[in-house]
Amino acid sequence: MPEIVVDKLTHTFGEGTAEALTVLENIELTFESGSFTSIVGTSGCGKSTLLKMMAGLFDPSDGRMTLDGEVIRGTDRRRGMVFQQDAVFPWMTVARNISYGPRLRGAGAAEQREIEAKWTEMVGLKGFEDRWPRELSGGMRKRVDIGRVYANDPDVLLMDEPFGALDAQTKERMQSDLLDAWRQSQKTVIFVTHDLEEAIFLSDKIVVMSARPGRIQHVEEVALPRPRADEMRLTDDFIQIKRRLWAMLDH
Amino acid sequence: MDWLRRLLSGRLVLGALSIGLVLLAYALVTSRADNNPALLPPIPDIIGSFFTNLGAGTLLDALGASLYRIFLGFFIGTTCAVIIGCLVGWYKTVEYLVDPLIEAIRPIPPLAYIPIIIIWFGIEEFSRVLLITIACFMVCVVNVIAGMKNVPQVYVDAASTMGATRFQVFRTVAVPAATPFIITGYRIALAAAWTTLVAAELIAAPSGLGFMLQEGRRYFLTDQVMMIIVIIGACAFIMDRSFRAIQKRLMVWSETRD
Repeated sequence: MPEIVVDKLTHTFGEGTAEALTVLENIELTFESGSFTSIVGTSGCGKSTLLKMMAGLFDPSDGRMTLDGEVIRGTDRRRGMVFQQDAVFPWMTVARNISYGPRLRGAGAAEQREIEAKWTEMVGLKGFEDRWPRELSGGMRKRVDIGRVYANDPDVLLMDEPFGALDAQTKERMQSDLLDAWRQSQKTVIFVTHDLEEAIFLSDKIVVMSARPGRIQHVEEVALPRPRADEMRLTDDFIQIKRRLWAMLDH
Repeated sequence: MDWLRRLLSGRLVLGALSIGLVLLAYALVTSRADNNPALLPPIPDIIGSFFTNLGAGTLLDALGASLYRIFLGFFIGTTCAVIIGCLVGWYKTVEYLVDPLIEAIRPIPPLAYIPIIIIWFGIEEFSRVLLITIACFMVCVVNVIAGMKNVPQVYVDAASTMGATRFQVFRTVAVPAATPFIITGYRIALAAAWTTLVAAELIAAPSGLGFMLQEGRRYFLTDQVMMIIVIIGACAFIMDRSFRAIQKRLMVWSETRD
């Protein structure tokens, strides 16, 4: 069942002015419920812009997007987002960050404790509940970010290069942990990255975009079996996909 | 030897050292035979003036009158500044409406209002408190606005994508994120309160530390003038330190250099 549908979407920055810049042109996509899709492309292809519009942070200049048939307009807890930058609130402890969303909707103290316990454990931060974000490493803060969005129980998870700033080892561990969390929750994930290996390792489907203006160039179905293990990154199937996608990107 | 070096390079020792050196230099100059005590009163005279005024009750009365004005003006001024600053910094409509006014008034030194305040309200307690209120408000509101404007966009986006309403974002994200700026605003307002207080009391007051300064000048009580200057410095210092302690308690979450 398609959950998110992007229908003839075009976006132009500064429309009607001399500097008008079309960043996305005629995008048509469907995202199946419970699927994991990555969007890849070189910088300037508009992939982050597309994701932010799905989150409702701003509206497209033409075309529309729907979630379960409802037109997306404005932000909504059903579409959670993990950002490339560090978005953990530094004035809240790890646990308070995790239960932020439920607290917005008036969750009681007991319910908050329960959610905090569940999701600190799920993202591997057990024992760090009362720490301040400044006491954590970049990777751990990203875990707080992801746990916070999960704890808010959205239908769709939008992730904008969430691991872009992490070192290679941390990144690989975070990818495996993300897949675990995804498998347990079966939420729809849309993951923007410029890292092909990351996209192949994580996704069911990879959307390749070309730049200026951003268009859909290719959609790759990733047939690798699940659950995925780190060793798969070195298999022939994996490398073949990587080689094919690599040739498509504008270098 | 190591403990001695550590002690000597410590904060308290070095701080006391610089103050001690100034006092020593002052003591040396005033102990010269050709020193005129009416211009540079020796330290024992200054201490003597302190105890004389303390015994007579004049010092505590003046201190009480001044602190009352400071606290009242500071409290009203900063409270208004936080409320108005938050609204201006967060809501575009309020900003467009109020910000030009604040920007136009901001460069005027609060002391420039003294004549008009005297004309309107007379030389009353109200006038002095009003002046301090204006001074505190103006310096504080600018910081509060800057704080609200500097709330990182990613925090706002994160909260809204979790379903926070605009007002919830304001309450749970913008205000805490702006706290460092707001506290700085309070500290600057406190300094402004002291500056304005003394100026207001120098010109028109029947009591207070500024009044005692003026009295000292009129009757050539240089030791009293010196004594009051030290008292003002000490009071402002203690209050600022208390504020820093509060700031530290409130800001445990922020990364600051020690």
